[in-house]
Amino acid sequence: MDYIAQGFIHAIKLLLSGNPETYSAIITTLKVSTLSISMSLLIGIPLGFLLGYFSFPGKKQCRAVVDTLLAMPTVVVGLLVYGFVTRRGPLGEMGLLFSIAGIALAQTILVIPIVISLTATAIESLDRRLRVNLLTLGARGKQIAIASLLEARYAVLTAGVTAYGRAISEVGISMMIGGNIKWHTRTITTAIALETGKGQFAMGIALGLVLLAIAFTMNGIISALKRKTA
Amino acid sequence: MNETTPLYALSHIQHGYGRDFTLVIPEFSIEQKTSVGLVGPNGCGKSTLLRILSFLEAPNTGEILFDGRKVEGDLGELRNQVTLVLQEPYLLKRSVFDNVAYGLRIRGEKHDLKERVHEALDWVGLSPKIFAGRRWYELSGGEAQRVSVASRLILRPRVLLLDEPTASVDTHSAQLIQKAIRDIRTRFDTTIVIASHDRAWLSNITDSIIRIHKGRIVGTGVENIIPGPWGADRDNLWSKEIGEGNRIYALKPPEEHAVAVLHPWDIMIATEPPSAISAQNILPGEIRQLTVARENGRIQIDVQTPGIALTCTVTDHAAESLSLLPGRKVFVVFKASSLSWQ
Repeated sequence: MDYIAQGFIHAIKLLLSGNPETYSAIITTLKVSTLSISMSLLIGIPLGFLLGYFSFPGKKQCRAVVDTLLAMPTVVVGLLVYGFVTRRGPLGEMGLLFSIAGIALAQTILVIPIVISLTATAIESLDRRLRVNLLTLGARGKQIAIASLLEARYAVLTAGVTAYGRAISEVGISMMIGGNIKWHTRTITTAIALETGKGQFAMGIALGLVLLAIAFTMNGIISALKRKTA
Repeated sequence: MNETTPLYALSHIQHGYGRDFTLVIPEFSIEQKTSVGLVGPNGCGKSTLLRILSFLEAPNTGEILFDGRKVEGDLGELRNQVTLVLQEPYLLKRSVFDNVAYGLRIRGEKHDLKERVHEALDWVGLSPKIFAGRRWYELSGGEAQRVSVASRLILRPRVLLLDEPTASVDTHSAQLIQKAIRDIRTRFDTTIVIASHDRAWLSNITDSIIRIHKGRIVGTGVENIIPGPWGADRDNLWSKEIGEGNRIYALKPPEEHAVAVLHPWDIMIATEPPSAISAQNILPGEIRQLTVARENGRIQIDVQTPGIALTCTVTDHAAESLSLLPGRKVFVVFKASSLSWQ
């Protein structure tokens, strides 16, 4: 068990000494996850709102598809996106393979169902009196829609946090699309996998701690935001 | 339109949600600047009528004239003139200030917003200093309902509809809501329609009361409504069991499930069981409430008999000489022929 304790001590040293390799993986992870979460929120929240707010033929089927995609394995997404962005694929010319943009694109595809599904649930769970209340105050179409989204803001924030957690912790996509290239596309998770494989527990634990710290910070920011807007 | 045109004129209205319940109103009108109360048991159609009057729902059949014009097409403009306070207050997840300001903001009326919000809070007895910054979850039920009322009053609506506004609030809040309603009517000539179970509360702020029973307007509110079924009984009379072995006797109804109407002035009150009396109906009961009837100054007395609450009216002299006070055990007496059929 000593090697785990040793790993923790070494991890803190690595972080405090500003080890460039460690920080390169941290920065890449933050870049990729920020890009993917931004895109998935931009696309997912409006789609989730539409799915939860309106009734239309095929709504149940749409919901079933989105909910099924929640459990999509990261390697399957990686495989599909790889097929598109590889040199021979339809998007091969864009040079997305082994790039940060490529990883972000695939992660977006991975987490969009989470944003859509949780946003739709948040909208569907709104109190039925809200609509009548807004109508009696004189609100109409667009005003009711905006007010409804604002009423669901905490649940939508939670959708964002959940999606971020999935993006930051996945390893399959980053490995397949990013290729785990040192100083370029190596993320925290791919680095942990690699370092553990090499028997470098200290590096692995250091990166694991950073991952936890990022998750902790994100939750802290969201909690503070909730308190501020509550 | 001139002032003699009724604000609402409903004709041949039928509205329902299923096979069992339908609101049926052949003709009904509400005059401008009046205050009308709606009474009736739960599920009788009061809320449905309010939803129709607030243009939230269009009736399945029938016609509504608002201010002399037929209600059809885009109702957005009409909805800006009419607002409804819901039985259970629903506040947006924002501050009290933002809740009260919401209606004005979406209308683009942002001038003097702070002053107007504070004024509306004052109207419902909430100090702006203390309450304007509070969050929606930092309010009691009564305070939340008053915020809900303030968010409507600030709009200075032409029509203010209220659905059981005091059902879930404390007495203090009920009094403040009553005052706010009376004040807005005086200030802006607002037409008021209020559904409530609390007839005493209602009679203080309404010009007239309308009773609804099973989706139909059955009277002017003061009458007692006794639904069937009726069964043939002795001496060519028909009767209905009301509980604890007591029966109400009536003349032959048009049908088994006919609804009987009994006027309060046809009921006598005795403090001892009367003997040697021709009236067929002598029911024991307990006085629940005394109210001064606005129109004639008589005392209105609500008596709970086994299975049914009856309202009677007596002179103030009779009330005093018989010591008719809440809690007193009495007997209500009325003739079988006093019951008329709806």
